[in-house]
Amino acid sequence: MAFLALDNLSKRFGTQTAVDGLSLGVEKGEFISLLGPSGCGKTTTLQMIAGFVEPSSGAIRLEGEDLLAVKPAKRGLGIVFQSYALFPHMTATENVAFGLEMQGIAAAERARRVADALELVGLGAFAARYPRQLSGGQQQRVALARALVIRPRILLLDEPLSNLDAKLREEMQIELRQIQRTVGTTTILVTHDQAEAMALSDRVVVMNKGRAEQIATPLEAYEHPATAFVASFLGKTNLVNGVAVRPERIAFAAAGLVGTVRTRIFQGNHWLYQVDTASGLVTVIRQNTGDAMPEEGAAVHLVWEARA
Amino acid sequence: MSRNGPLALAYHALFVVFMLTPILVVCWVAFTPEGFLSFPVRHWSLRWFYAIGRYPEFVSAFWRSLGLGALSSALAVAVSVPAALAIARHQFAGREAMTTLFMSPLMIPHVVLGIAFLRFFTEIGLGGTFAGLVLSHIVIVLPFALRLTLASAVGLDSRIEHAAVSLGASEATVLKRITLPLVLPGLVSGWALAFINSFDEVTMTVFIAAPGTETLPVRMFLYIQDNIDPLVTSVSACVIAITVAALIALDRAYGLERLLVGKGSHGR
Ligand SMILES: Nc1ncnc2c1ncn2[C@@H]1O[C@H](COP(=O)(O)OP(=O)(O)OP(=O)(O)O)[C@@H](O)[C@H]1O
Ligand SMILES: [Mg+2]
Repeated sequence: MAFLALDNLSKRFGTQTAVDGLSLGVEKGEFISLLGPSGCGKTTTLQMIAGFVEPSSGAIRLEGEDLLAVKPAKRGLGIVFQSYALFPHMTATENVAFGLEMQGIAAAERARRVADALELVGLGAFAARYPRQLSGGQQQRVALARALVIRPRILLLDEPLSNLDAKLREEMQIELRQIQRTVGTTTILVTHDQAEAMALSDRVVVMNKGRAEQIATPLEAYEHPATAFVASFLGKTNLVNGVAVRPERIAFAAAGLVGTVRTRIFQGNHWLYQVDTASGLVTVIRQNTGDAMPEEGAAVHLVWEARA
Repeated sequence: MSRNGPLALAYHALFVVFMLTPILVVCWVAFTPEGFLSFPVRHWSLRWFYAIGRYPEFVSAFWRSLGLGALSSALAVAVSVPAALAIARHQFAGREAMTTLFMSPLMIPHVVLGIAFLRFFTEIGLGGTFAGLVLSHIVIVLPFALRLTLASAVGLDSRIEHAAVSLGASEATVLKRITLPLVLPGLVSGWALAFINSFDEVTMTVFIAAPGTETLPVRMFLYIQDNIDPLVTSVSACVIAITVAALIALDRAYGLERLLVGKGSHGR
């Protein structure tokens, strides 16, 4: 029996179905991502686990116990909201201490654990600041510390990195993964960024219109997408004569599918090609090795390994 | 903010002059030594300021007005908080009706309210009592208290409260530790605006107040009906001086703009 089990979970808002018969088992210590386009029901799923949205049907069990019968305040889950939802009138320390205070932890131990948590997210020097005196990334880390310090049974993260710039997001991804490894907390991350989901997760749940299209490891989902939606959502894909081929799997060769280079874009570590062929437009990605590459307008031959 | 053209500046200047002149003239006239209202004043005297001492009912009316404003505004805010939270948070049957009901005193002429309350209070034995004054003032200041309280309640992100709940806080704790502190700036502004409206009210109060429960504006109004001496100008000058001092103190402490516009900024 899985640590956390979602069983045929559905949520309808009026006539609209936000989550449609979702079943998922999460193992203890696992890092799972809910991945999908805007409006596919990710937040709704997370909110049902947190207890702020009531499911229309289905069940949620945590360690075998019916979670829906437990009040949100008693579920013992750590949540990082998309907007961080820090308490604006409290310092970073007070924010992080709040949950421990609710648990009735004595002041001395509380102070020690708060300091440890802020240290863990690298904010020891910012303990006395109010949220509005912190940058977006720092606020996000306070929110993470606040959720982690109560030693939650599960950590729920709703697009926690979406407000950060690309560089900071990458740093935070690495940090997040490291913290999760260190603390070992079962984590569910909501994101619409496929690269983020792949980088962080043990398994991804690719969602579309409230349904889980595929539940698999990132590599498996990328290499063996269960549906056309998964294939296209997890990166660029070519459909050549009904076969899905990743752009980086296609190479230029002396013989093969005949085509003409329509556009060529240099992207630093790789080249992005659009090639006109008899089977339609094909996207090709080639590593930049420093060698000369076909120019726009050049006649080329394309080859790829025959696998999905 | 865009820069103002000369026309706009002239307009503003005119507006300020128009607003300030009566106030300045009243203060000026208050320093007359004459026994009647005269303008311009040629000789200076504090005669009419000393005269206030001979009319203790003015002083007691001033304190009554202060107490009435403070109490009725505080009670109006206390009523506004649950109402504002309910209106801001929940879709429920009668939500619109409730908002309209609370706002309706704005639309009823105070003369009408005065006559209605006079009859009602006499009927239930509250005629001419301070309790009656408080009740009637709660009604007329409620729209002001509710407006600003509602504004800050609407601006509150419910996810902040959810975060507190997820950390194990009970409903009462969330209200005390999160919700109320976050709407506090709105409550303070609402109270201040309500207080000003209560302190100022004469049209309705003149019907309800009796000798012994007269507010300052009512006392002044009744006084000038029987007297032509400049006593009310010196009383006015005192009120203006106190108001200015209070505004300066508030501005130092909180920033007036924040208080009156109701912009909440948290922490310190
Ligand atoms: N309270 C609500 N009332 C009505 N419809 C809602 C409500 N909450 C969500 N929905 C609808 O349910 C669907 C799923 O919403 P949800 O917030 O779960 O999407 P999401 O996957 O988190 O999207 P995003 O990536 O944009 O945050 C959407 O179509 C949304 O409009
Ligand atoms: Mg969402």
